[in-house]
Amino acid sequence: MSIGKRRRKLIPFAVIAALAAAFAASAATARTTASTIKVAVLSDCQGAFGAFDNQDLAGVVAAMSEYAGAKPKNPNKPRDGWTGGSVNGHPLKLVGIGCSNDRADTAIKETKRLMEQLGADVLIGPLSGDESIAVANYAKQHPTKTFVDGSAGAQDTTLKVRAPNFFRFNGDGAMWNAGLGDLAYNKLGWKTAAVVADDYSFAWTSAAGFIAEFCAVGGKVTKRVFPPLNTTDYSSYAQQMPTNVDGTFVAVGGAGLIPFLKAYEAAHGPIDGKKFIGNLFWGTPGQFEQLSTRVTGAYVGGAGTAGDLATPAAKKYANNVIGKWFKTIPPFGAAAPQAASTFTYGFFINTWGLIKGLQAVGGDISGGQKSLQAAIKKVVLPTAYGTIHLDKYNQGIIPVYYQQLYQKGGKLAVKTVGYIPNVDQTFGGTFSATTKAPGRTSPACVKRSLPWIGKTQHPKVTG
Amino acid sequence: MRAAVTPDRVVGVVALVLAAIAPAIVSTYWVSVLLTQMLFLGIVAASLIFLSAYGGMVSLAQVAVYGIAGFVLGNATTTGNTKGLNLGWNPWLGVVVGLAFAVAVGLLFGALASRSTGIYFLMITLTYSVIANLFFGQVTTVSGFGGISGIPTPKVVGTDAHPNRLYYISLAVALAIYALLRYIVRTPFGLTLQGLRDDPVRMASLGYNVVLHRTVAFGFASLVAAIGGVLFVWWNGHIDPASIDLSATIDVLVIAVIGGLYRLEGAWAGALFFVIINNYSQRIGFIGPRFHTLIGAIFLVIVLVSPGGLMGLWERTLNVFPGRRRDPLDRTPIELGQAEPSV
Repeated sequence: MSIGKRRRKLIPFAVIAALAAAFAASAATARTTASTIKVAVLSDCQGAFGAFDNQDLAGVVAAMSEYAGAKPKNPNKPRDGWTGGSVNGHPLKLVGIGCSNDRADTAIKETKRLMEQLGADVLIGPLSGDESIAVANYAKQHPTKTFVDGSAGAQDTTLKVRAPNFFRFNGDGAMWNAGLGDLAYNKLGWKTAAVVADDYSFAWTSAAGFIAEFCAVGGKVTKRVFPPLNTTDYSSYAQQMPTNVDGTFVAVGGAGLIPFLKAYEAAHGPIDGKKFIGNLFWGTPGQFEQLSTRVTGAYVGGAGTAGDLATPAAKKYANNVIGKWFKTIPPFGAAAPQAASTFTYGFFINTWGLIKGLQAVGGDISGGQKSLQAAIKKVVLPTAYGTIHLDKYNQGIIPVYYQQLYQKGGKLAVKTVGYIPNVDQTFGGTFSATTKAPGRTSPACVKRSLPWIGKTQHPKVTG
Repeated sequence: MRAAVTPDRVVGVVALVLAAIAPAIVSTYWVSVLLTQMLFLGIVAASLIFLSAYGGMVSLAQVAVYGIAGFVLGNATTTGNTKGLNLGWNPWLGVVVGLAFAVAVGLLFGALASRSTGIYFLMITLTYSVIANLFFGQVTTVSGFGGISGIPTPKVVGTDAHPNRLYYISLAVALAIYALLRYIVRTPFGLTLQGLRDDPVRMASLGYNVVLHRTVAFGFASLVAAIGGVLFVWWNGHIDPASIDLSATIDVLVIAVIGGLYRLEGAWAGALFFVIINNYSQRIGFIGPRFHTLIGAIFLVIVLVSPGGLMGLWERTLNVFPGRRRDPLDRTPIELGQAEPSV
């Protein structure tokens, strides 16, 4: 056989070899250029909770940095986002941060922009109650995308809307107040109480937790007052508050809390802290420091958080997670003390839950994200304050803590005094998908049994 | 007789062709969000321009009426997972009831406001807008602060439908409304309305019922605004008091003024400009969430440089060329603050 013929015979082998090499190269390329996962965050940079915008982002960016290899762009400004970050080679790209203002209408507009214009695959947020109801409804209409809550705590978001692709690892407003009704009636001796709450879904839910439990043990709520969110002059609402009750539960939050308390004092004289219980805003880092020491002694509902818990996990979360990735969280200053804020913690655990879901599927979000959504349902989070897992409606079953305000060195400080494990959104069987949603007149004040009454634990704390 | 080829008609045909082929030349987001939004906001602004340009009534109640249609539709069609009445009716029945309710309220608003003119009419309609916002914000039986979410749509524009479908339906509705408004202003009713705009005292002395004519015109404009409200709810799936607050009310006035308060086409030109600025200004670092500051500045420039808005600018550009015949509809824009005598 001539050399020429032999060469011609080799040509098919050469072609096959070339094709094989090309295929191998392309496969290798495919491995190294795994598809990008586009992440969007929806925060409130305006409105009643606009001051907590950087706390929201600190939670997200810290979780991305701690668990997905990202790095904050600016350790003093969480809103700048992160660089790097991936799951199994799939880059986690921040495509946008939405700026909402506690209004559902704005939240939907921003969600559309983030998901449809910027093409996000997953959304982390929003911050507040009615926004989350609207976003959960949006999620229902977009089943191929995945949504995790930020810090919103309206009950309807998970109990009524029940979007299969919307997940919430933080509690709702009612869950966060577990233990307070029992405390008011059995420890503080309140037999009657008045309730004032912002007139929107989260505050209704927050008030519902106190009312349901206080009435469950035998208390009577004689007056419910609901000023609209973003009210600037609370004087007419403060005037409506009765003084012939044993105590008052206050669920006015965000920018409204201080103006409400000032209006209350103008109407009824100096506040006696022992006759007040506040919801989470009375203990939120960045907010409670603005309260007067006159509220010393008041009890405070938490947000599934206990910043002073004397456990290695709690200390590590504050100092070696939030405090490691951020030096300051504006406008409130040093980062570590803000780790237990409902906003920082809420956005942190929800982002962490998302990352764990992504890790479980190796970053594969193909197939309409069905595998990812199934994986997130199974996520168990060993958080700084206890273990969280999801119920059948994708709502976290969480540990709940409540606190008391006291004075330390002449300044107001927060001490955790009560702990109730495994609170779920049915609130011990009080609420269900068919019960009337929390509102101005619901829940009704009725006596019933709750599993944690008389069983509140007292955790060991620092300070 | 062949229609004369004028620059207006050429631009109109080009705009129509571009609108028809938009899904082929721009992104899905542009079609399903920006352009669809432009169409229904344009419809609401057209109802304002109709009242303003042909009836001499600058109304700030159009967003209230648009919201009433939306809230009624939401209450009628939702099924238990949101605020409101959750009546669970058929989406089409909800549309009919929403439109009927909005027109009825519009006629009532019109009957009360049509005895005043100028700044007084403006203030009364602003009051309607505030009342509607506070009503839906405070009355939790029908809405409350959080509004109504998850509002179902007819299958034709449902979640399973192609995203372009709502755009094309909005486009067809906008064109139909534009044609209807153009037709109405040339009918005896429309000509009478223009007579009332120019000299209500003389028209009254000629035997025309000024108040009734204005009320009916307001009711008709309410129907147009309500159709915009229905398209908004189909598009958004949600409505809450913030959708019809003072800011939204002013937005529609800004759209009409930027577009040109004296020509119907200005409604959609202004809406397109507004929607694009609203969407893309957020990407500019120093503007960020300060959209209303930016649009306020643009509004100021438009009022100072071209009181006729974008349409006025277009007219002025054409008038630069010699021999151009002025359109018979051309005239000085209505002075917002000019108080006309009450009738």
